Amino acid sequence: MSQFEQVDIITAEIIRSSIVAASDEMAKTLVRTAYNPVLYDIKDFGVAVLSATGELWSEAPGCLIFGRTLPCTVSSGLRHHASDGFEEGDILIVNDPYETGTHLADTTIYLPIFHQGRLIAFAATTAHWIDLGGMTSGGVCTISRDIYQEGLSLRHQKLYAAGRKNTDLIELIKLNVRIPEVAMGDMSAQIAACKQGALRVKALCDKYSPETVKAAMAQVIDRTDQAMRKMIRALDDGEYAASIKLDIDPEFNVEQPELCLQITIAGEEISFSFEGTTAANAGPLNLPRYGAEAEISAAIKSLLLPDDAANEGHNRALNFIIPDGLLVSPQRPTPVDCYMFVAECLFELVVRALSGVLGERCPAGGYQLCGVGLMRTDPKYGEPFVLMEPLVGGNGATPHDDGSTMMFIGNGDVPNLPTEVLENRYPLRVECYELQPDAAGWGKYRGGCGLRKDYRILEDGVLLLFGTDNSVDPIGRGLFGGKNGEPNEFICRPNTDREMVLRQRVSNYGPFFKDELISIRSGGGGGWGPCTERDPARIIRDVVNGYLDAQQAEDIFGVRMV
Amino acid sequence: MTPLSGEKSGRRVAIDVGGTFIDYVLLDENTGEIRVDKQPVASEVLTDAVLTGLERIAGDIGTIDQLLHGMTVALNALVEGRGVPVGLLTTKGFRDVLEIGRGGRKQVYDLFYREPPPLVERHLRREIEERIDARGEILITLDPGKLDVELDYLVANGVKAVAICFLHAYRNPLHEQMVRAHIEAHYPELAVTASHEIASEWREYERTSTAVLNSHIQPPVASYLSGLTQELERKGYKKPFAIMRSNGGVCSPQGASEKPVYTLMSGPSGGVIGARKLCGDLGFDNVICADVGGTTFDVALIEHGEVVEVTGMEVARRPILASSIDIKSVGAGGGSIARIDHRGSIAVGPQSAGARPGPACFGFGGDEPTVTDCQLVLGYFDPEKLLGAQISLDIDRARDVIRRKLAEPLQMDVEQAAAGVLSIVEANMSHAIRYMTVERGLDPRDFVLLSYGGGGGLFAARLAEELDIKTIIVPRFASNFSAWGLMMSDYMEDATQVLVRNFIADEFSAIQSTLNELADRTGFVIGEYGFSPEEIDFLYRADMRYAGQDYTISIPLDRQWFDDQRLFMEKVRERFTDAHRRLYGHGDLHAPMELVVIRCRAIGRLSKPDMTVWRGGERELQRPRTRDIFHTGRKAFTRSSIYERDDLAAGIHLDGPAVIEEWSTSILAPSGWRAAVDESGNILMTYLDK
Repeated sequence: MSQFEQVDIITAEIIRSSIVAASDEMAKTLVRTAYNPVLYDIKDFGVAVLSATGELWSEAPGCLIFGRTLPCTVSSGLRHHASDGFEEGDILIVNDPYETGTHLADTTIYLPIFHQGRLIAFAATTAHWIDLGGMTSGGVCTISRDIYQEGLSLRHQKLYAAGRKNTDLIELIKLNVRIPEVAMGDMSAQIAACKQGALRVKALCDKYSPETVKAAMAQVIDRTDQAMRKMIRALDDGEYAASIKLDIDPEFNVEQPELCLQITIAGEEISFSFEGTTAANAGPLNLPRYGAEAEISAAIKSLLLPDDAANEGHNRALNFIIPDGLLVSPQRPTPVDCYMFVAECLFELVVRALSGVLGERCPAGGYQLCGVGLMRTDPKYGEPFVLMEPLVGGNGATPHDDGSTMMFIGNGDVPNLPTEVLENRYPLRVECYELQPDAAGWGKYRGGCGLRKDYRILEDGVLLLFGTDNSVDPIGRGLFGGKNGEPNEFICRPNTDREMVLRQRVSNYGPFFKDELISIRSGGGGGWGPCTERDPARIIRDVVNGYLDAQQAEDIFGVRMV
Repeated sequence: MTPLSGEKSGRRVAIDVGGTFIDYVLLDENTGEIRVDKQPVASEVLTDAVLTGLERIAGDIGTIDQLLHGMTVALNALVEGRGVPVGLLTTKGFRDVLEIGRGGRKQVYDLFYREPPPLVERHLRREIEERIDARGEILITLDPGKLDVELDYLVANGVKAVAICFLHAYRNPLHEQMVRAHIEAHYPELAVTASHEIASEWREYERTSTAVLNSHIQPPVASYLSGLTQELERKGYKKPFAIMRSNGGVCSPQGASEKPVYTLMSGPSGGVIGARKLCGDLGFDNVICADVGGTTFDVALIEHGEVVEVTGMEVARRPILASSIDIKSVGAGGGSIARIDHRGSIAVGPQSAGARPGPACFGFGGDEPTVTDCQLVLGYFDPEKLLGAQISLDIDRARDVIRRKLAEPLQMDVEQAAAGVLSIVEANMSHAIRYMTVERGLDPRDFVLLSYGGGGGLFAARLAEELDIKTIIVPRFASNFSAWGLMMSDYMEDATQVLVRNFIADEFSAIQSTLNELADRTGFVIGEYGFSPEEIDFLYRADMRYAGQDYTISIPLDRQWFDDQRLFMEKVRERFTDAHRRLYGHGDLHAPMELVVIRCRAIGRLSKPDMTVWRGGERELQRPRTRDIFHTGRKAFTRSSIYERDDLAAGIHLDGPAVIEEWSTSILAPSGWRAAVDESGNILMTYLDK
């Protein structure tokens, strides 16, 4: 308790909320000054304020995973440069997935915060850059065979050293990316965000003294850790496990990759191990170790202490046992650009495994990322364009209600693209945008419906990218007797003699020509509880509202409509 | 209708309905007299409560020359679920747009996060065979003969109002107009809202949501306003009755009844409009408007003399496309409840004890420590005097609840715990203000703080210290300031048109005719209020972006550019580039641009009352009473001087530590602050640099 006595609890709370506000201001600055729609529309970013030793003080979540990968990234920078290797005015850049935990596109920029010559903290941001060279643009290469094919790697280089711009490095980056002005714009936005965070931390140090700020945050972290441990102590000790199979890509592997997670609750700590998990893929379907740890941490925080921003205290009671070389611990130069499919599986596995002990604190499983890319790259067909959108789909049913249709968990607050905006911008017409109840898993509570979105192609030469996984073993699993949701599915040219149903990842598929139709069905969420327990009043509303037809009501629930 | 814009009127009355009280301000311009009053809200019979208070302050209602009304009827109808069942007609294939929404998970760690359920159940969302494309061309023609089957279904299922939202109706409203005409002819009992009338902007979910909300609350709002108007007429009031909208302008009761969704933020708008006038007169261009009420802390900004607006917002977690003053609400007010959180620290709000049971010290059964309880314990106000003694405060109850719920578990003394609660609330409020300025690339130090509402004066100095702001204004009648502000508004009508065109000379004539068409449409509405064409002002804006960008920046357009193509193209490019540079730090004058939306606002200016002169008070400061008050920034009880605001004459100044008490509120001036009374009775506080 010695640390607690240095700062009273009120001061500690005010400093904590000020650091949270500082990270919110960083996020706002990043969104306001970014060039790239992936940042201001899709919010594929993370920001954090960290201690001088790389412990998380606060974050403003964009994508869930970054709340925990950022402290890992800054810690790896501290190992690289040593704690006395930073100077006031330094700004560093890193995107090497083996240092950051995700993929090359997620570029971290961070700076050390000094107060009166002493290192106090770090301000850090990760943002998805639209291009970093490599064999394909956009940051989701599905065919890379090593990390070098995925683009330019940077590892804790200094963009600015003691305030001096490293022009050579910046020129090198510009030379290796396809759209240098956007990369430079995003870099400036990230620097501006970090500087905003630094400004606030310095002001707090001026006001309270750096010792008080550090002691306050140490207290906040300790108290958060104690709150976590209290939650864990209340759970039954034991080992809880779950596993899931990902899709075979015949280009890269012969057996179905499998992710097996064991969770051991012992006293006030939780351990995570991966016995039985397949070795790393030869292709890009791999999740670097830091990313795996981060995804688990985010899932545990969501289950045990979902309120307010994360700090280091949410993570201290967690232990990870991950041998090298697995699907969740690939070694350089293994490619990793499709890490997000593994990450989403891992989140769902944590929830699923712990449903055995947490029961009603767990929703059923939700759909896997359903990414649509429609693009024209060959100018012989007309002006090039690229539309990339992650579709909403069915989330898991909850212990008290039917599931909803919205973004999958890992993607956070990503809004969809309105049809009216889409049709103004691309040579496409949306002919249907509706709920797909048949994709949902039924139960006492129904999983979220999938989405059906039909794109009519209005001009020739359009290629399709379909980002998905888990076609055989869907992650939208039912809980406590609820049924599974269906996986994502693309139907190309439905009801024609050239109809083709896709359930696995493809890129550069096509080309499609004028008037052809692509119908996309995102997956559904799993049901919660057995169908026999569904309230008949709900079943009647389901039929009235077209979530079920009368025949299904009878077949699934034995309810006959009269 | 001439008295509107012409000569001075005599007696003006503003009525501002809040959550707990109805606030009144009466201004007699012939005598310079200004009076304020409050009437408790009795929600069952709001009209009676409104009239009771009105007669008390104004006597004979027939002698009033101008009546203005800020109301929460629309908001309450939505929040309390008192709207009517709505049916929705959509383009075939799109009935689920309303249910799916935009699909983002706004609380990322909340596994149970979800949007509020749609206001229209799935079977009441009926699809119509029709299609218009992004250029406004009709691909599938609507057949009115097929409408009855859908409408009959809706009527049979109890629907009382219908919303229509077809794709791309912002570009070509023909099909929506056909359906409206059909319903009016064949189903006159149904209230109708067509999306292009209420929100002529793209993004089908937000437009559908706006149209549905409007339909939902139209009948209760129309019935309240027609009831009130009839009563006013019966009591002899024959002059125009002006209703405040969210954008800070007023409209007729009929306008508010047809488009109640524009009045959702009617309540807090008055204060901001008043702030613009007051601070303009005082010579302040950049103002942070802070309104501290019982449950929320509302912040708005005035930048370079203009109220900062938005074109879309969320109310009760549902999106609305409508221009509105940008008012951010934080769950921090007098009734906010303090509790011990999972870390063993103190968290304050957003839960509020409201007016009932209210803070523990009210003695209405509240048994949770609130901000007001903490302020009482720390000596911020006189237990006998709050609210003109309508409520006397029980300090023992306040101490007891703070001791039991906070101080003992945290092993603190009661005053420490109370001061802790206030410090945390002050921090939350200052974070909200800073966030709002950072969001726009502004610095709070360039602003003055205007603090009003019942709790405004108690927080102002500490907020200013947190934000490094040197000047505070606490207006006269601070707790009724929003009502006063209603008198500073004008008749306004907004219209928009989505264009999405390359910004090139070839498009100039289309842009020009759109500008003229919008001016005709909005000018007509203002003309109906009795303004002649030359009395109507127009403001024009364009939402612009660089080709390839998603987001837009709204820039003002000058009327004198409109007749000259070259001038127009050049000036718009310049202005957009400047705005882009200011916001984002870069901009290219010659890069390809797109014009996305054109906006037009017609304004019929009302005469504004002059600032009344404050003649009361004493010229010499009397030897004040004193009381021990705990100033949170100073961490100690300090013997502070206590003044009655009414005793302070214009021109007087005094230094903190002090409390200035007035009917229904107090102003806290910690050490280091000087408070001066200006000639209108406003208090300006400045921080004295040592």
